[in-house]
Amino acid sequence: MARERVSQADEWQAWAQRYDIEGGIRTFESGLTVKVFVGALFVGLLMMPGSIYLGYVSGESGAGAAPWVAVILFTELARRSFTTARRQELYMLLGLTGAAVGSGMQYRSFIWYAYFINTPQAASYEIADKIPAWVVPAGDSVGVLTRSLLHPDWMLPIGVYLAGKLLGTLRSVSAQYILFRLTADLERLPYPMAPITAQGATALAETTGKEETWRWRVFSIGSMAGLIWGFLYIGVPSLTGVMMSTPIQILKIPWIDFTQSIEGFAPTGVFALRTDFGQMLFGFVLPFPIVMTEFIAAMATQFVLNPQILYRFEILHQWKPGLDVRAVGLYNGLDFWMSAGMGKSFSFAIVGMAASIPMLFKMRRSKKTAGERGTFAPPPNRGDFPIWLMGLLWLVGMGGFVWLIHWMVPNFPLSFLLGFAFLYTPLNSYITARTFGVLGRDLFDIPYLHEITFILSRYEEVDIWFAPLPDEDYGRGTQSWRVLELTGTTFTSNLAGTLLIMPILIVSGIVVMHFIWKIAPIPSAQYPYAQMMWPINATNECLWKTSLRDGNSQMLQAIRGDYVAAGFTGSLAIYGMLWYFKLPSMWFYGIVGGIGADPGSMVARLLGAIIGRFYMIKRFGMKRWYMFNPVLAAGFACGVGLIGMGTVAIALVSKAVIVKPF
Amino acid sequence: MERVSGFIIILGTLLWLFSIIFLEGRWQWQMFAALVLTIGIFCAHFWEELRNTDSSGESGDGQE
Repeated sequence: MARERVSQADEWQAWAQRYDIEGGIRTFESGLTVKVFVGALFVGLLMMPGSIYLGYVSGESGAGAAPWVAVILFTELARRSFTTARRQELYMLLGLTGAAVGSGMQYRSFIWYAYFINTPQAASYEIADKIPAWVVPAGDSVGVLTRSLLHPDWMLPIGVYLAGKLLGTLRSVSAQYILFRLTADLERLPYPMAPITAQGATALAETTGKEETWRWRVFSIGSMAGLIWGFLYIGVPSLTGVMMSTPIQILKIPWIDFTQSIEGFAPTGVFALRTDFGQMLFGFVLPFPIVMTEFIAAMATQFVLNPQILYRFEILHQWKPGLDVRAVGLYNGLDFWMSAGMGKSFSFAIVGMAASIPMLFKMRRSKKTAGERGTFAPPPNRGDFPIWLMGLLWLVGMGGFVWLIHWMVPNFPLSFLLGFAFLYTPLNSYITARTFGVLGRDLFDIPYLHEITFILSRYEEVDIWFAPLPDEDYGRGTQSWRVLELTGTTFTSNLAGTLLIMPILIVSGIVVMHFIWKIAPIPSAQYPYAQMMWPINATNECLWKTSLRDGNSQMLQAIRGDYVAAGFTGSLAIYGMLWYFKLPSMWFYGIVGGIGADPGSMVARLLGAIIGRFYMIKRFGMKRWYMFNPVLAAGFACGVGLIGMGTVAIALVSKAVIVKPF
Repeated sequence: MERVSGFIIILGTLLWLFSIIFLEGRWQWQMFAALVLTIGIFCAHFWEELRNTDSSGESGDGQE
């Protein structure tokens, strides 16, 4: 039992070092060239429709694949043209393609609210007629009924969205840059997770040499697996959905529900096996202790805690035999787990603060003992910006954003908006930037901040739930600037690329989303994941949005102080015990994350983690396996993405054909 | 300091279990236990980070 005590920072940094294959470089070049820009647009826009379609069909957009497809294509083209691709170009390509492929999903809330406004839930909770016009047009408007985002009815929601996006870009770029200068240049924080992102681009840059490397082979294996899986899981139901009224599903999407099968010996327990085995790839990369403890905790909840304790003591009292996973989940949530979950969130906040605040003291002390301090002067040729200019841009962006919110909800107290914008946001962002600099992850998060604010403000209108609040966190974005530095990409070229591609993506995203919506109503049998999940999501949204109404809503009745306290104190006790017995802090995140969750949703991830840990690492060695991982995942996602693109193309063509009756 | 932190954490955990089993899980007692645990966890982390500013990094390699 003579375990050595390891601090949380050391534990996470040790894990991060597994991915850190190369230290990065310090000479800077522009990554933005015409071929990079065109390549990113080509692959990104080609895969965007497939990505949106997959999101509604299976719940996974596969958007992560597109940047890697672009990079692989780019490097192969370079190799065959006897030229080389620079790492700066490849990193820029990754970023721009990611932005391009994700651009369609930026409008997904329009489709959601077009559905939500006409749901029976929204009507019965008396929300439907109170949804503001800047969120969605009226439920009986032509734009909603004809499923057309290009109809003038949508001008106001889209206009507000675009104004918010412009101001958001101003704020995030400037604030992230300032925080990066503070934490990376001045304070010299290590940013341990940044090299992981950087190594993807740097590793692939070397493939433009003469000989074929392992990367191409690993990518091909991943893509073939992705193609086969994608065809079975997404291709068959989508293609049959085009031809038949009810699509054929070889594996039921999104899960096979065993909840009624286990209710004999585990009443109130849920087990719905998630059939998306693409999740195995996440299991390959996630820390093994987290995946394992999460699964064990979830099993213990559904087979012991729920049926043997909470049900017996009539804490879970709404359950009755014959319910499916969604209904059991909803009732269990209202009876206990929603309250306990709130408590768990608060415990994460306390544990995060306990880990991050002493770190601030340590950094200060270690700086003094080392007798040195980082300089605020940037390295030459990095493409830096004047700090005063960035500060001014942030002020303009934030001032405009506060004005916009005030215009959207004029009766909400302005003092809260100003407090969030100019006190909370800078403080929160700085703390997060530091924890990212030390640990590579966010620790500081105050849960239910919006709800607390709404209660304190005594504002009871529903419209505030639809408005954004200026409580932002730019801390995690600082890491991307560090990655730029590690790949030797000039900051100016990155900013130029982002600004150049933005207008193209704004227009193309809305056009593609419009056509996907035109294929069939969302949700409908064509989109099984949305059909399964959206009704329950609508109920949950109604519960939240009416939670503070009259002080006596269903949601407020469901939140019980003793259950919140149980979740909070129980989680802290688990953390304390793990610390006392010198066990890894990762177990805490696994155990507390798994408590109350459905173990069936974790089976694929667990399989991946076990195969990775007990077979792959032994077969290939840890270093090689962690080198393979991102390339394999990219290949798999590429294969699934190609199937998605193919099926969406066929679906679009079939909808465009009008069959005449003679 | 390590022993003090450990003692406070054990005390908080026992207090929480006591409040659940014998005091019908009343939130006031549970929150008191949470306060004790929070103090213990903060003490533990302060001790851990500040015990020796020279120690960094090497440990934690084979922690699966």
